[in-house]
Amino acid sequence: MPEDRDSEVFEVDQHIVAHSRYYAGRMGSRFYVTLRDEKRIMGTRCAKCDRVFWPPRSTCGRCFSQLSENEMVEIGPNGTVETFALVTYSEPVHPRQPPFIYGIIRLDGADTSIVHFIDEVDFENVAIGMRVRPVFAEPRHGNILDIAHFRPV
Amino acid sequence: MRPEDRKQELIDIPMTVDVPYRFAAGKYMTKFLVELRDNGKFYGIRCPVCKRVQMPPRIVCAACHVKNTEWVELGPEGTLVGFTIMYLPLTDPTTGKPHEPPFSYGSVRLDGSDSVLDHFLNIEPEVEKIKVGMRVKAVLRSPEQRVGDLSDILYFDPIPHQ
Amino acid sequence: MKRNVAIIGGGQTYHAARRHDVNQVEMVNEAVRSALEDAKMAIDEIDTVLIGNMEFFEGTHLTDCWLVDGSGAYGKPGLKITTGGTVGATIVCGGVHHVASGLFDKVLCIGFEKQEEGDTGAILSGVAHPLYGRSMAGAAVGYFAMMGTSYMAAWGAKEVHSAMVAVKARQNARKNKYAHLKLDITVEDALNSRMLAYPIRMLDMCPASNGACAMILADEKTAKDRCANPVWIRAMDTAHNEQFELDWRDVTTKKPIFSRTSSARIYKQLGVNKPVDYFDVFEIYEPATWAEMVWYEDLGLCGPGEGFRLIEEKRTEIDGSIPVNPSGGVLSTNCIGASAMLRVWEAALQIRGDAGDHQVPKEVRRALTTAYGGTNWTVITALSRSLDD
Repeated sequence: MPEDRDSEVFEVDQHIVAHSRYYAGRMGSRFYVTLRDEKRIMGTRCAKCDRVFWPPRSTCGRCFSQLSENEMVEIGPNGTVETFALVTYSEPVHPRQPPFIYGIIRLDGADTSIVHFIDEVDFENVAIGMRVRPVFAEPRHGNILDIAHFRPV
Repeated sequence: MRPEDRKQELIDIPMTVDVPYRFAAGKYMTKFLVELRDNGKFYGIRCPVCKRVQMPPRIVCAACHVKNTEWVELGPEGTLVGFTIMYLPLTDPTTGKPHEPPFSYGSVRLDGSDSVLDHFLNIEPEVEKIKVGMRVKAVLRSPEQRVGDLSDILYFDPIPHQ
Repeated sequence: MKRNVAIIGGGQTYHAARRHDVNQVEMVNEAVRSALEDAKMAIDEIDTVLIGNMEFFEGTHLTDCWLVDGSGAYGKPGLKITTGGTVGATIVCGGVHHVASGLFDKVLCIGFEKQEEGDTGAILSGVAHPLYGRSMAGAAVGYFAMMGTSYMAAWGAKEVHSAMVAVKARQNARKNKYAHLKLDITVEDALNSRMLAYPIRMLDMCPASNGACAMILADEKTAKDRCANPVWIRAMDTAHNEQFELDWRDVTTKKPIFSRTSSARIYKQLGVNKPVDYFDVFEIYEPATWAEMVWYEDLGLCGPGEGFRLIEEKRTEIDGSIPVNPSGGVLSTNCIGASAMLRVWEAALQIRGDAGDHQVPKEVRRALTTAYGGTNWTVITALSRSLDD
């Protein structure tokens, strides 16, 4: 068939640009406002399960209890590194230029962990179990990068 | 906003995702686009069983589940099946910019085709001037300007004296 | 149906233009709790959770994962389904298959959309063929506008008929406490509203709503043990059209388009001769007024080209002989991921006699609902009050 003979590679480049807007809800808003204005990190506690969640949430996934802002408790500010990774390649969506370190950090008082950057330390010196503390950004805007990164205590 | 919301600051976080794509046209669509670019011609493909001439050209006839085989030259004239006059500045995702409203566009069945093609109409955006059923003709960019894309068609012109 | 399947409970949010007070998880959770309460059931009793929305409309993926706390799906089997505008009904279809197969007894179905959070236009452009039509950027409004001009040219309908549909929808919505656009409008108001894409004016088109709907499906034994008024899903059918053919815009097409194929199949399955006699109420998926008139014809409620006469003669009003969309329809509430499920749920409310002020004033034994998704497919659902109906 004619189209088989002509094996011209025909490709078309396009973009889709999508603008979205995440609404945090009341509990989420309280978390971000507290972070921004008071430099305090909040979680939510399920009394029935005796667990403290980060991020704060309105329903406990395990027991389905409804949780309100009354159940919010301060966590951290310090925490323990549970695991970490050094990123050495580049993607357009990455928030930082490589190399940079992601850490999964269990803040004091929380039962679930937070993903964030670990900085002000050489990669060779980062270890599971390492104690870290948040470094807050100036100025802050009411999002998770109000914490700029975590650094060793 | 409900009264209880006014007391509390409610946070929202904007995000923009810009995703690049590279679409492969595939063999049949490539032929369609290459014929348009190089020869200024429209091609559909006919199913050997139901005889439908399909655009965009596709490998398989969905109704008959057989390979489409026969290339058919179409148009460049056709019949307007539906139209609208757009007043909204909706973004064209292929350029990132809106087409300036108001503008008319429509769905054209090229002579010989069973499928339709949507494109701009070179008619003033006034309802009285556009009629379903009117005969139109494709106006292409000059050969040097064509790239192998439906934008190689500038618009459809109404055929005079209908 | 291998096993009979009933709707034993459901719930929906109060649909609104803005829900800044909740995130997506919380909004979904509102509908889920409402459904559990209606069914008098605890989340632990649910065997599996099916959830869906329009893919990436809120700028998030894997909604089944990150909504897991609010959906009640933690630790449970379940699926995410995304099928465009039909998704709400496709989830019900999935739920029906789960129960009818005998593999699950109690299924929670969730459809939602937090429209304000996403870029509907940009993501919807992904539906169009990248090399064949995407640049027209007409979006849904352009698509239905072309259907409108085709319809008027083919059958002699006028813009005033579109206005009548717009008025019926919003006046019905005023009787539905959950609806988004409760508007006390007249035909004059509709004809004077801003033109978006000829002939579609602002009031001829659906809104963007934030909302969720949840329903609990169960097997016959559970339904009879636990529910005072189960609503039976007797049949569901889905049909696709060819991608990018968009025949539905040419209302004179003779091709076997999805709406006619699917309704013909379901009528045959149920032994329906005259749908206007067989079904007592219809909840159809109408993103624009013209789509409603075309549905009347494609469902066989009238002959080809007669759809606009039905609305002209007020036959499809809430107290008419063929009530269509007593809830206010998609024209009044469009949280897209939930919209098709809301049609099923609203039909169930009618059968239960629980639709409150928008209950149709006649006995409702059987209902039919439709869904609509670009690029042209549907899910049609037939419900009944008892297994003998």
